[in-house]
Parts: sequence; C-alpha cells; structure tokens
Amino acid sequence: MAFIHLDDVAVEFPIYSGGSRSLRKLVLSATTQGNIGKDAQDRLAVLALSDIDLDLRHGERLALIGANGAGKSTLLKVLAGIYQPTRGRFRKSGRVSALLTSSVGLIPDATGRENILARGMYMDIHPREMRARFDEIVEFTELGYHIDMPVRTYSSGMVIRLCFAVATAFPPDILLMDEWLAAGDAGFLAKARQRMDGFVARSNILVLASHSMPLLEEWCNRAILLESGHIVAAGTVAEVAERYQGPIAAPAAEPVAASA
Amino acid sequence: MVSFADTEDRDAAAPSGRTAIALDDLFGGFRRYWMWGSLALQDMKLRYRGSIIGPFWVTISTLVMIVAMGFIYPHLFHSPPISYIPYLGLGLIVWQLISSLITEGCASFTAADSIIQQVPIPFSIHVYRVVCRNFMVFAHNLLLVPLGIVAFGITLHWNLIEALAGCAVLALNGVAVGLLLGILSTRFRDIAPIVASFLQVAFFVTPIFWPIEALGGYRPIGELNPLFCAIDVIRAPLLGVPITSSSWPVLLGTTAVACAFAFAMFARFRSRIAYWI
Repeated sequence: MAFIHLDDVAVEFPIYSGGSRSLRKLVLSATTQGNIGKDAQDRLAVLALSDIDLDLRHGERLALIGANGAGKSTLLKVLAGIYQPTRGRFRKSGRVSALLTSSVGLIPDATGRENILARGMYMDIHPREMRARFDEIVEFTELGYHIDMPVRTYSSGMVIRLCFAVATAFPPDILLMDEWLAAGDAGFLAKARQRMDGFVARSNILVLASHSMPLLEEWCNRAILLESGHIVAAGTVAEVAERYQGPIAAPAAEPVAASA
Repeated sequence: MVSFADTEDRDAAAPSGRTAIALDDLFGGFRRYWMWGSLALQDMKLRYRGSIIGPFWVTISTLVMIVAMGFIYPHLFHSPPISYIPYLGLGLIVWQLISSLITEGCASFTAADSIIQQVPIPFSIHVYRVVCRNFMVFAHNLLLVPLGIVAFGITLHWNLIEALAGCAVLALNGVAVGLLLGILSTRFRDIAPIVASFLQVAFFVTPIFWPIEALGGYRPIGELNPLFCAIDVIRAPLLGVPITSSSWPVLLGTTAVACAFAFAMFARFRSRIAYWI
C-alpha cells in the first residue's frame, strides 16, 4: 500500500549569492581572513520548510494551499525525493510520478514522440515498454500529427497534455502535481479528471498544489495550508480555503507558471 | 517523475547510510544502461540534427587537423612524416577524448539541471551519459585508425589488447572525473573555466603532438605525466610499438586516487547536488 510519512521535516536552502559561488573568492577570503573576499561569507540560508508532519494514506487526495513562496513546490519536491530533507525523517512507499514544472525537462528541438520516450526514461520506463503504449498516449494528448513536430512549436496547452499523458500512462501509486495543471483548457481538465478518478479509485495518493479553489475542491478530499514553510491549517478543502483569505476572490487571477 | 527506489526511508540525522546510498546510486545507475545509453545517443542526434553528414563532422575535423599539422610539424621536430603523422594522429584522437571527458565532466550535473530538479533518478546516470557520449565521438574518430594503419603500413602486435584495456581504464577515469568535477562545479561555478585553461596548458606540456624523445634527459617528466600515460597505453599498441614501462603503473595509480576521491566526494555531497543546482 502506498503511503507517505513526514516526521518533523525541514528543508533549508543555501543561497549562494554571486560571491560564494566562486572558488577564487572562497580561497581569497580564507587566505586574507575575510578582508578581500568578504562577499564569500554572505551565505544565507532560507528555511523553506520546517516542522512538517504529514501522513498520507492510500486513497487520499491532498490539496496544497498557500501563497507564492509558502513552500508548496518545495514540499512537492521533498515528496518526489528530489530534495533530501535537511532535518527530520521522510518515509514513503510506492511508485511516485511527479508533474512539477511542465516544459522544463522537455527537449525543445526533439519531436513529441522523442520527448515521450525521454520522459518515460526519466520515469524508469524502458523505451520498449513506452513504445508499446505509444498509440494510447498520443490519443490521449489529441496532438495528432503534431506528435512528430519539434516540441518548441507546441502551445503550453499541448505541452501540458503531453506531460500529463506520459506521467499517467503507467499509473503510479503516488501522483504529485504542481499548479501549472490548471493552465489546461476545460476539455483537457475533464479528461484528466476522468483519468484521475480511475487512478484514485485504485487507492492511490494524489498531492496537488494549485491556486484554483474550485479545482482543488473538485479533485481533493483533504487540504493543508502552508505559510512561510509551516503547516498552519489542515482539514477539508472548504475549511482550509476559508482560512486562506488571499486569492480566493480571484482563483484564476494568479498567473500560472506554465511553459512561458 | 518516478523514484528509482520505490520505498524510501531517509533520516536526515543518520549520515551513516551515505556510503550505501552512494553505492546504490552508482550501481543502480549503471544497471540502467539503456537509460544513459539512449540519452547519450539522443545528445549525439540533437547535436548534429540538421547537418547532412552528422557526427562524421567529428571525423572530418580531426582529419583536417591531422593533415594540417602533419604537413608542418615533421619539419619542426625533424622526424620523418611516416612515423610522425600516425603518432600525432593517435595522440590527437585520444587527447580529444580525454579533454572532452574532463570539460564535459564539469557540466555533468549542471547540464542536467532540469532533470535533477524534476526526477529522482540516480545521479550517476548523468555521469555515465557524458562518458558514453564522449566514447561515441571517440568511436567516430577511430574510423581514421584503420585508414592510417593501411596508409602508413603499421604492423600490429598482440599488445593491441592493452589498448582496449586502456579505453576501459579511461572510461573509469571519465566516471571518476565526472563525479568529482561535476559536484565541484555544481557548487563552484568557476571550476569549469579553471579546468578549461588548465587543459590548454596540459595540451602543450604533454607529449601529444611532440615526440617524447625530444625531452632528452628530461624524459621522466613526460613519462610520469598521467595524461601522457593515458595516451600512451592506447597509442603505442596502435602504432605497433611497446608501451612505455611507466605508463601502466602511473595510469593505474592515478585512476585509484581519482576513484577514491570521487567516491568520497560523491558519498559526502550526493544529497546536496539538487540544492546546489
């Protein structure tokens, strides 16, 4: 059974402003006791997440709510296994598929077909298995002959379809999605929703970050509110959304970071 | 997307598992040869997309360089072109492999930043990809070798096997260098330019395009240069001459040190790579 368990997890980011990225300055500052290469010392650390306790069990669909910079994307990256927590314990079981940023990671000059294979590989899926699912994936994307065109010619909606289709072609146990999904049009969202329903019905876990409350309310059955890296509220989506006063009046006003 | 380990239990307070995680990464990555193999192939395809002769540009530009230098340099070094040109040609071909393994090794993680930010695949895959891609380029250059062997009437001996072993050792070094410099230049962005200027110097002070005999009494300086040793174990067998006696010991010693350093570095800083990108 899929599960995610976070115990007192914290993520601290080193911020290397110009100077501390430079070895020369680091050496200089060591040899001159910080006189010359002073800026090598301005190492800031940003506490992106702290005191995160979270338990997710099969069948749970969690909404991540919070303003920009609250830690939603960082939390998703921890769940995906990209950032190892700098404190605390992270346990999970199940095959994770994460749709974090849409276009990043796509090869602009390669065709849609080639990108499907490449993305499949990053998901640990052998090109042979991927080819077997090709028709199905292409059909879901509704890309038609565009599938043999370079991805740089795609619209952001087309990119989203492609990425979503690949990420869900082999149903994962845990699906993580960042807010850009909302950039899809109504037709795609309905289709994606349909696929998700089947997926969650198989007792899998979904974690979705978005600023669109209607979308979250429709897709999720649990929510947490993040504020500067802390969980400040938890409950049903409606409850947490109420607590989160901010962009609720204009759910779609947030510019969605799609493939711009 | 999908984690390479379906179950994970990472406790930030327990650094004892680092060695095991690093080994897991290196072997788990290596087992996925289809992944780094196709990524390397894709790199080659994209690099030469839209060009008619594709990766054979590599072969041609190497040939042009050999021909051009082969006209002038025999006079400079007073050596007969028939023995100098094959020496120069093989020297350049192997040097190209070594220097591109080192320069591209610096970018093994920074060039894969978008993948690292999105999917938790083994970090070693990015390094294997760079090594594999550079050996593909090397293979295109090697097409010139049979040509040279016929044209210059070289007789090969059994020690050709040593050249193969040399390639394997270079690949191992490529992985070590890719891990070591890859991590360093992820953290310190000026490592790559430093390495590039070092390589330029190394090209001129290593017996690549000039005969080691020209050193006269200072010959040991050349013989103890690991870069010369790496070239020598591949070049000498293909020239049909014995490998310099110091080459294998020096090369293997350097390899051992490089691997030990690289592994220690990787085990210690593996978990930081995603943060530094």
